[in-house]
Amino acid sequence: MSSTIDGATQVRDTTGLAAALEAVLFTLNRAVTVLELQDILQSPLPDIEAAAATLTGTLTGRGLFLQRHQDQLQLVTDPAQADVVRRVLRPEYPSRLSPAAYETLAIIAYRQPLTRARIEEIRGVNCEAVLESLEEKGLIEETGRLDAPGTPRLFGTTMKFLQILGLSSLNELPPLPQSGSTSS
Amino acid sequence: MTGEITAELERDPVYVVRTPAFDGPIELLLSLAQRAEVDLKAISLASLTDDYLRAIEQQHPPLDRLAAFLVIGARLVQLKAAGLMPDATAGEEEDLQAWEDAIKGRLDEYKRFKELAESLMRRHASGRFTFAGLLEPDVIPQARVQVSLDALASAFRQVLDRLPPPGQVTVEMEHVSLGEKLEELRGMLARQAQLNFSAIFRHARTRLEAVVTFLALLELIRIGEARVVQASAFAEIMVHGQVRTETE
Repeated sequence: MSSTIDGATQVRDTTGLAAALEAVLFTLNRAVTVLELQDILQSPLPDIEAAAATLTGTLTGRGLFLQRHQDQLQLVTDPAQADVVRRVLRPEYPSRLSPAAYETLAIIAYRQPLTRARIEEIRGVNCEAVLESLEEKGLIEETGRLDAPGTPRLFGTTMKFLQILGLSSLNELPPLPQSGSTSS
Repeated sequence: MTGEITAELERDPVYVVRTPAFDGPIELLLSLAQRAEVDLKAISLASLTDDYLRAIEQQHPPLDRLAAFLVIGARLVQLKAAGLMPDATAGEEEDLQAWEDAIKGRLDEYKRFKELAESLMRRHASGRFTFAGLLEPDVIPQARVQVSLDALASAFRQVLDRLPPPGQVTVEMEHVSLGEKLEELRGMLARQAQLNFSAIFRHARTRLEAVVTFLALLELIRIGEARVVQASAFAEIMVHGQVRTETE
């Protein structure tokens, strides 16, 4: 008997927390870290994670979309609604980037965090200017420093990177092609 | 190599090589040499370098271009040296093999990323963006006002108390513009990341001017360019400037 009640309470708690999470993300209207959410929702990390998973499920087929980048969550519009949203607001999103910029973004997205030297090793050319421009557009950011001589900056992607590609998380990126299987 | 990338190189090459065997950007030469599509034995790297040295004397290219030339040049020398040593000893051959594998691995890795870059580009071009909502202008996030409104109001009252009382009404029109006060506050916050609440009113000579200054401060808080913080109950209220972010 009591176990039934506990079970029911548990279910209500996750659903309730998912609803609270939705409300908080809606009002803050920015990327919120799971650390902040633990504080705001007064709940431990595993409960926040469970609530986020529930919310993602609830939002399937709806106009809103839960986005996750590393430890940040943000409530945004569904990529399928991009056209209609653009009819009502004119967000300043970076338009087409250069081929060098997409290459650099791809390397950072799959290998992050990494240094400029590592990116240049893969691309075989100086990447200073392209990194500067990606950082300025808010698509990449410094995520820390490498513990090595000169403590070089480490780069990673940002929430905005997911937003211009309409991805729910980095896990949704296409898989890295197998070595040697490419043709072009 | 796609036409697009070739075109990009030709717009801004590190150096354009002009030899009978090869005519084009040095980046392209390296790329072709790495894939054995051009024979480096037919190109004198020494005279290429001499030509480059003459070119620098005339053009004075920026340091990063010189560095780029050095990197590419070193790779060309390395490739050429590897090609000129067919009689290397067994040990060296192994090294060479390892080196060739490393080069191949690097090229392979680059190719995989180039493919991914194209898929990112297609995805971006599809315009399936996601958007954050517009912030309702009446709502101010808690983080911007970390002080009770009573404390803010009483701090402002103290400012007013220091200024001369209204006394008799003067009809003379005093001209204080909110726009000017906004710019003044922005300037102060740009010079100093944080200010005492009272310092904001340093230049206020009249109550009207103080009131307009206070309105300007509230406006900066509303639009997210300032935040007010009181560390503890009776501490001085601090005004922090902050860069307006799109996400907040």
